[in-house]
Amino acid sequence: MVALTERGLRDFDWQTAILAILISFFGVWQIHNAVPSENYWSKQIFGIVIAFIAFIVVAFTDYRRLIDAAPIFYAFGLVLLFLVLTPLGVEINGQKAWVRLPLVGQFQPSEFVKIPTVLMLAKYFGARKSTVLTLREALVGGAIFAGPLALIMLEPDAGQAITYFPILAAMFFLSGIKIRYVVIGTVLAAVMVPTAYIVGVKTGKIKRYQQERILAIIDPDKVDPRGYGYHTIQSVITVGKGGISGIKGDPETSQSVLKFLPEPQTDFIFAVTAENTGFIGCVSLLLAYALLLSRMIASARQASDRAGMLVIMSIVCGLAFQIFMNVGMALGFLPVIGVPLPLMSAGLSAILSTFIAIGFVVSVRMRRFVN
Amino acid sequence: MKIYDHIQNLSARVGAIQVIAFILLTLLGARLYYLQVVNGEYYSDRAENQRIRLIPIPAPRGAIFDRKGRILVDSRPIYNVVISNDGLKHASGADKVADYSSGLQLEPQFVSERLSVLKKQNEFESLVLKENATIEDIAWVEAHSLEFPELRVELQPQRHYPLGTTLAHVLGYVGEISPKQLESDAYKDKGFRPGDIIGKGGLEQYYDEYLRGRPGYKKVIVDSRGRVQSELETVPPQSGQDLVTTIDLDLQNTAEEQLANSVTKRGVVIAMDPNNGEVLAMASAPSFDPNIFVKGASTPEGRKQIAAYWKDETRPLLNRAIQGRYPPGSTWKIPESVGALQEGAITVAHSNILCGGGITVGNKLTRCMSNHGSPPLDTAITRSCDGYYYRLGLKMGIEGIIKMVETFGFDKRSGIDLPNEKVPQTPKTWMKYVVKHEGKWSDIRTVYASIGQDTVVVTPISMLRAVSSVGMRGKEYIPHFLKEFEPIAAVGEEGDPNYIPARAGFAFQHPEPNLIELQPAQWDLVLKGMWGVVNAGGTAGSIRIPGFDIAGKTGTAQVAEVGKDTGKNRDHSWFVSFAPAYKPEMSVIALIENSGFGAQNAAPAVRAMYESYLTRRDGQQPATQEVAAR
Repeated sequence: MVALTERGLRDFDWQTAILAILISFFGVWQIHNAVPSENYWSKQIFGIVIAFIAFIVVAFTDYRRLIDAAPIFYAFGLVLLFLVLTPLGVEINGQKAWVRLPLVGQFQPSEFVKIPTVLMLAKYFGARKSTVLTLREALVGGAIFAGPLALIMLEPDAGQAITYFPILAAMFFLSGIKIRYVVIGTVLAAVMVPTAYIVGVKTGKIKRYQQERILAIIDPDKVDPRGYGYHTIQSVITVGKGGISGIKGDPETSQSVLKFLPEPQTDFIFAVTAENTGFIGCVSLLLAYALLLSRMIASARQASDRAGMLVIMSIVCGLAFQIFMNVGMALGFLPVIGVPLPLMSAGLSAILSTFIAIGFVVSVRMRRFVN
Repeated sequence: MKIYDHIQNLSARVGAIQVIAFILLTLLGARLYYLQVVNGEYYSDRAENQRIRLIPIPAPRGAIFDRKGRILVDSRPIYNVVISNDGLKHASGADKVADYSSGLQLEPQFVSERLSVLKKQNEFESLVLKENATIEDIAWVEAHSLEFPELRVELQPQRHYPLGTTLAHVLGYVGEISPKQLESDAYKDKGFRPGDIIGKGGLEQYYDEYLRGRPGYKKVIVDSRGRVQSELETVPPQSGQDLVTTIDLDLQNTAEEQLANSVTKRGVVIAMDPNNGEVLAMASAPSFDPNIFVKGASTPEGRKQIAAYWKDETRPLLNRAIQGRYPPGSTWKIPESVGALQEGAITVAHSNILCGGGITVGNKLTRCMSNHGSPPLDTAITRSCDGYYYRLGLKMGIEGIIKMVETFGFDKRSGIDLPNEKVPQTPKTWMKYVVKHEGKWSDIRTVYASIGQDTVVVTPISMLRAVSSVGMRGKEYIPHFLKEFEPIAAVGEEGDPNYIPARAGFAFQHPEPNLIELQPAQWDLVLKGMWGVVNAGGTAGSIRIPGFDIAGKTGTAQVAEVGKDTGKNRDHSWFVSFAPAYKPEMSVIALIENSGFGAQNAAPAVRAMYESYLTRRDGQQPATQEVAAR
């Protein structure tokens, strides 16, 4: 660990840290707007404090030593995910995605295990020397990835599972996968996703509520507004209602306070933001995310080794994907799956894992001249 | 980048990821622009619509009083279980039907009917699901507020008829506007909504516009489950106007009693002030209880009772006074006598016509009750000589009878302020039909028409009105119940969007009476005959009241041919009158269905009415003294 020397402080990425802190406190404000009567917002402040400490610790730790230790973290992560499936797992809203441990309390392993997975993949792909991704490498990478994914699918938590894919995609893409495979993969996805949906509906593998969530996006007026399409419709109304500069007047009559908007402090925090701060607030938030991602990508370009670059870029891809999925859901053009909005949604696990991830980005950046 | 690897195009690949990320964020921004900037107002309205609810506050309906200020109809507060239709709009009603019907003790059939009415309403409106909720119902609704947030309990006024069956036909009743009425011309475009209470039948219907108030509403904010969070504004309702009728409750009670104690308990008694047409009493038996229509429409037992009223062969819902059409029998001789004098078929000096114990037309003998020789008009009336009128009718000709019908207005409604009055049927009505089917109007039909049979059926009100005009020497007034409507104050401040202006009070607007012209001597002759019926050994001598000369006419109207006139086909018994004979204060008609002779059944009922009237007219002085002494 680099001591908090003058050099350490000079190389520390203040810009990333400040952006992350700003966004997360903007989030606290929105959590308060969402449910003023509950103390979610104060819990979130507590979470941010913890997360920031973890962030500092990770940032000042040499990421290379952590990548070296990746197999241990990875194995530990798999154990945590396995615990979810044991009686230690806690079921909330019909999903067994949490685990309660003595002293630590209750948390969501699938949020944290992203980091060991990234480290493990970065360790493997960062060490390779070939210029083009080979089939063997792809298979090994796939195997590393498959472990946590399989355990998450067993919970089942499709929403979290989906957020793992950008990590693998980033690894493959930046490890020189041939462009033609990228094109083939994209085309295949474009064909396979609708096909899979239709087959799934026909065979009954896709459940009725899942179908309704999809239909709510394709044709929101035709879906039962009181059924699963309800969430999408109410979110769109909430966003639209915000107008250019957000609601004026009585916050007691907001969509979330009157409970028209479901899960306002977590999944639909963006709709709350939209209602309260309008187009101006939303665009500012998206710009802040863009700035944060740009800064991280710039750090990736300056990384002193391939593994560091891979860590940053897979985190960038993961965050960008989550932002897009979550906001797209709130804006009614992506299906309702429980993906939290990074740095904004209430939840200790999410805020902690996001800050730790950003800690790695800063750690890599701080060591850009060390070689 | 130290790890640059040109073969991998690493920098380009990182750049590609950056570009894709920015494209995705831009996509989100574009969608935001569309939702918030382009359609912001639309979604703002939608959000407002789903959180704002208008809860109607029903307006108290105007009360109805008798002429002395005694309550005939009022409203009392009751608890109703009300259902709002949002949340139900899209839910399948089937599972709710079972829950509601078991929870509120309602018939599933009824519940599903209510739900289908509700679904046709605008969003966020509500409908009464159960009236007169019991303590148990209220407790059930409160206990299930989480499962059924669409239900609520409201205190609302309900129409109450303290007199029960008394005066029921005149008062009518109120009920929810029917889907058919909502689409009819009379109610369309007047802002009626399903669930609105309107007058149905009687004065409730005729004066609905004035009795009905203007409802107010409460604007509230609700959450996603329909629970009220806060109140935004309250617009108070404006009550309906109170109606003071011409009814004298004491006379009405006498009339009801007389019918209740009659032989068949079916018939009509009407009392009127011949000087202006004010109806003092109107009873029609059998009657019904309007409370059953008001309270029972939502309960199985109530609906059964209502159905029973409709099925009852004695037709209790029929207001016989204005909707029953009966052959008038000999009562018809009064207007006919006036007509004959007017047209010159007889004169005061030469009014004698042969009785002959009857008349033979063709080969058919039509009898008189006895042989009255060749009586003058007054004796013919007093004795009710059919033979006289057979020949008088032939002398007038059917044209003369039709002219009389027009003179007295038997070809029109009386114009009484009640809905659904029937028009009498007379030779005027049937002429075309008879000529078409029989080739000509035969003399025998004229003979029958001259004693109020065959082609003549009249409503009791039309007969009373005609005979009253004889008492008034030709002034025929429109019978009516409205004495006055009380004024009602404005609601709110002028200029306020919710301002409801005051409504002025008003009295019945008397049109000019219909004038029937006859010379005084001619009136005297007819009146002498009518006076004699009661006071000079006539057909109703038994009802004479010393010092209060009743002028009247009996009638015994055949329902079936002679020989079959027994049991339920017995003759209708009529008595029509006014008193005192030469300066009438009150006119009374009684009709007892299928009871036989007019003098035996209807006349005593009429006498009871006059006695009741006299007790109060002459007893008024000591009664007030007594009150003052206390």
